[in-house]
Amino acid sequence: MRRSRRLIAPLAVTAALVIVPALAYAATTTISMSGATASFPLITLLTAKYTKLKHGSVKFKVSQGGATVGIQEAAAGKVDIGDSSRPPQSSDPKGLEFYPIAKYFVCVVTNPANPISNLSAAQVLAIFSGKVRNWSQVSGATATGPIDVYTRTSVAGVLTTFQNTLLGGAKVSSVATQEASEGLMQNSVKKDPSAIGFLSDYFALAKGVNAVGYNGVGCNVANVVSSTYPGFSDFYEVTRGNASGQVEVFINWIQHSPVAKKIIETSWIPLNP
Amino acid sequence: MAAYEPQSSPVLVVPPHRRGRRSSLRSWRRRDQLIYLLAWSAGIALCLIAAAIVVFLAAQGLRYLDPKLLVTSPSASVDQSHSGGILDPIEGTLTLAVLGTLIATPIAVATAVWVIEYGRPRWLARIVETSIELIAGTPDIVIAIFGLAVFQLGILAPFSFRSSAGGVYGRSFLAAGIMVSLVALPLTYTATRNGLRAIPRHLREASYALGKTRITTIRRVLLPSLRADIATGATLGLGRIIGSTAIVVVLLGATLQNSPENGVPLLGFLRGTGSTLPSYILNNSPAGEGNAPQKAYAAAFVLMLMILALNWVVGRISRAGAAAGLYAGRVAR
Amino acid sequence: MLARLRKPWTDRRAERTLGAVACLTALAIVLMVVFVAQRAWPTFSHDGLSWLGSGGSLDNQIGSMQSTSATPPASAYFLRAWPLIYGTILTAGFAVFFGLAISLLTAIFIVDFAPPPLARLMTPVIRLLASVPSVVYGLIGVLVLVPFVGNHLISAGEKESVVNVIQLTGAGLLVSVVILTVMITPIMTALITDALASVPRSWHEGAVALGLNPLRATLAVSIRAIRPAIIAAAGLATARAIGEAIMLSMVSGGKAFAPNFADGPIVLFEPLRTVAAEIVEQVDGLSAPALRSSIYAFAALLLFSGFMLSLASHLARLPLRKYELSS
Repeated sequence: MRRSRRLIAPLAVTAALVIVPALAYAATTTISMSGATASFPLITLLTAKYTKLKHGSVKFKVSQGGATVGIQEAAAGKVDIGDSSRPPQSSDPKGLEFYPIAKYFVCVVTNPANPISNLSAAQVLAIFSGKVRNWSQVSGATATGPIDVYTRTSVAGVLTTFQNTLLGGAKVSSVATQEASEGLMQNSVKKDPSAIGFLSDYFALAKGVNAVGYNGVGCNVANVVSSTYPGFSDFYEVTRGNASGQVEVFINWIQHSPVAKKIIETSWIPLNP
Repeated sequence: MAAYEPQSSPVLVVPPHRRGRRSSLRSWRRRDQLIYLLAWSAGIALCLIAAAIVVFLAAQGLRYLDPKLLVTSPSASVDQSHSGGILDPIEGTLTLAVLGTLIATPIAVATAVWVIEYGRPRWLARIVETSIELIAGTPDIVIAIFGLAVFQLGILAPFSFRSSAGGVYGRSFLAAGIMVSLVALPLTYTATRNGLRAIPRHLREASYALGKTRITTIRRVLLPSLRADIATGATLGLGRIIGSTAIVVVLLGATLQNSPENGVPLLGFLRGTGSTLPSYILNNSPAGEGNAPQKAYAAAFVLMLMILALNWVVGRISRAGAAAGLYAGRVAR
Repeated sequence: MLARLRKPWTDRRAERTLGAVACLTALAIVLMVVFVAQRAWPTFSHDGLSWLGSGGSLDNQIGSMQSTSATPPASAYFLRAWPLIYGTILTAGFAVFFGLAISLLTAIFIVDFAPPPLARLMTPVIRLLASVPSVVYGLIGVLVLVPFVGNHLISAGEKESVVNVIQLTGAGLLVSVVILTVMITPIMTALITDALASVPRSWHEGAVALGLNPLRATLAVSIRAIRPAIIAAAGLATARAIGEAIMLSMVSGGKAFAPNFADGPIVLFEPLRTVAAEIVEQVDGLSAPALRSSIYAFAALLLFSGFMLSLASHLARLPLRKYELSS
C-alpha cells in the first residue's frame, strides 16, 4: 500500500503530459497527398504556406510516385488528395473528382553541351520514336554519336502530356531509358552529353539543362500564355468523391486565394490570370 | 542458413612458429607458386580496397562536411543542393537505432536463454532456431514490404496515421523500428547463444547444488557473465540497423524532415515519418532527386564514422577481443 | 496481484514466458510467409508458374499494371518476369563465384602466408569492408564507377552497335558484379578464415611431414576439413547477393533488360534489373492491385529461394558431418 502511494504523483504527472497534448491533437488535421513529381515543388510551396496561415492546425504529408500512383492511392483511400499532372483517362478508377489548380508546360531538353535552339515537330517525333538514332542526322546539334533518349515511367502524367501534345499521340520508343521522376530525368540529362529528354517547366528552365524550342516557338511562359506553344496541361488535385472538410477548404484556397496565385506565378501559370 | 559457428570460442590463431618460406618457395611447383602469388594478391587487394574506400569517403566527406550541416535541418524543397543540413537524418538514425535495439535485445536474449537453458519440447526449439536462421537470411526488402503489409492493417492504425479517406498510412518510426529489430535479432541471438554455450557447466551445477532454481541461476549467475556477449550482439545489431536502407525507404515515409504526428510528444514523433542518414544519402545521390552529391558524401562520412565507432566498440567489448567481430558478420544492407 | 508477480518466479512460469517470447520469432516467419503468399496469390492464380518465364517487355507489363482500377481485368495480371530472374542469377552467380575464389585465397593468405602484423591487420580490414552499408557502396558506384565505365570504357562504336535495342550508360553488369563481389567477399572471408584457423595445426604439420609443401598441405588437408564452413559461407553469400536491393537499384541500369551474351564483350555494359531491385523501384505503386500482387510475387520468390538456399546448404553439409571438427 505504501509503495503504491508513492506512484501516485509520477502517474499524475504522466497523465497530465498525455492528456493535454491529446486534447490539442483532437484539434489538428493532417492531409495526406501523393502523386505527380512535376507538381511536387508547387505542392511543397503551397502546403508550407497554408500550414503557416493556419498556424499549424492543418499539417500535410506529401509523397511522390507519379501522377497515376497518386490517382490510384486517392481512389483506394490511402491518401486524401492525389496530385495529378494529367487530366482523367478512361483507365482511371471511377468516382474521382479532378480539381485543376495551375497550368504547366513541357519542354524538350538537351544537355547544355548540346545547345539546340529549336527542333521541328517532325524531328521531335523522329528522335523520340526511335527512327533517328544518331546526332549526325539532327541539324543544329553539336553532339556526336548515338542519341541517348530519356523518358519517364508510365505512371508519369508529364509523359502523357508530352506524348499527346508534342508527339501527336505517338508513343516514345521502348529503347529509351525510363526515369522515375522529374528530378531523376533532370539529373540524367545534365550528366549525359548525348542526352535528350523532356521536363516540366519548373525543372527545365534555368536549371542547368537546355530547353529546346518546338516548331520555331521557344518554350517559355509567355508563349504558353499566348497559346503559341502547344505543350501544356494542368495540374489537378484528385479526390475520391467530392472534396469535403479541410480538404475542400484547402483546394478552394489554392484555386481562389491571391496568396496561392502569387505562389503559382513564381514558376507556373495560374488558371485565372 | 546457419552462420557457421565454430565449436569453440572464435580466436584468430596466428601460428607462432617461424617458416623458412623464402628458401623453400623456389622448390615449389609452378602451380603452387601461382596460387601463392594469387593468395598474396587477394589479401593485399582487400586491404587496398578498404583503404581506398576509407580514404575516398574521408576526402570527400571532409571536403563537403561543414559543421553547420550537423545542426541544420534539411531544406523543405526537393532540391537539396543549396541549403539544408543533415540534422533530421541524424536524429532519425539515432531514433531508429535506439528503438530497434530496445525491441530486439530483450527478445533475442530471452529466446537464446530459452533455447539453451530450457529448450523443451525439442521440436519447438529446433523450429525457433530455424526461424532465426530464416529471418537472418531474409532480404531486407522482403522484410520491408512485409512490414508495409502488416502496418497498413486497420487495427495497427495507432502505429502510424489514418487518412480521412480511411486508409492506414502504414509508415512511421514505429513501423520501421519494429521491422528493423527483426534485422538485428539474429545477430544478438547468435552472440548470446554462443556466450551461453561457452559458460562451463560447473557454474550452473554449483548454483543448482546451492538450491537455486533455474530461473534464478539464469538471472544471478548466467546473465551477469553474458554482459559482454549481449553487448557485442546488440552492438553488431546496432551497426546493422544504422546501415539499413531498404526498410527505411519503404517504411519511414520518405519525408526529408522528421514530421511528427500530433499528440503526445514522444509518441507523436514515433508515429510520424522522417528520414535517416541512409535514406538521405539515397535521396541525394544520382539515384534520388535531391541532386546534391556533396551532401550525400557528407552524410556518408558521418554514417561511416558512426559505424567505425561501433566497430571499435565491438572490438573492445567482445569476449575474444578483436577476433570476434570477424565471424559474427551479417552486415547492413 | 502485483505482490505475486514480485515474488521470485517459478521455473514453470519462467519457462512458459521465455518460451512465449521465443515463439515470437517463429510467429514472425509464419506471418511473413502468410502475408506475402496471400498478397502474391492473384499473380499465381492468373499466370500459374509461367510468370517466371519470358515474353514481352517487362517494363511495359509493369507499366500497364499501374493504371488499373480496384478490380482489374485478368489481362492486367500478365507478367513474364524472366529478365529479372536472369539478372539476379547473373549478378549473384558471378559475384559468388569470384567472391568465393577471393575469399579462399585470402583465408589461406591470412592463416598461412601473412606475416603476423599483416594478419592482425586483416581483421579490422575485413570487419570494415563487411560493415559498410550498401547505400554507401551504391553511392561510390553511382558517383565514381558508373561515370568511369560510361565515359572511358564504353566507346561510341559499341554504343552504336546496340543502338536499336538498348542504350549503354555505364550502369550495368560490370559495375553491378564488381560491387556485389566486394560486398559479399568480406562475410565469406571472415567465416572461412575463422574455420581455417580452427583446424588443428597438427593435421597440417602431419601433411608437411609427409613431404607436401605448406600450401599443398593446406589445400589437401585444411580446406578439405572445412568444407562445411565453405558451403555455409557460400550459401550465406548467395542469399545476401540475391537479396541485395538498394545498391543494385543504384548501379544496375534503368531497364528490365536481359543482357545478351551474343553481343560479345558489350554484354558487360548492358543494363539489367534484379528481382530485389525491381521491388524497390516499384514500391510506390502498391495501391494498384495488379502491381501489388506482382511485387509480392517477387517477394515470395525471394523468400522461397532464401528458404531453399538454407535447406540446400543444410543438406549439403549433412554428408560432411562426419568430417566436421569436433569440439
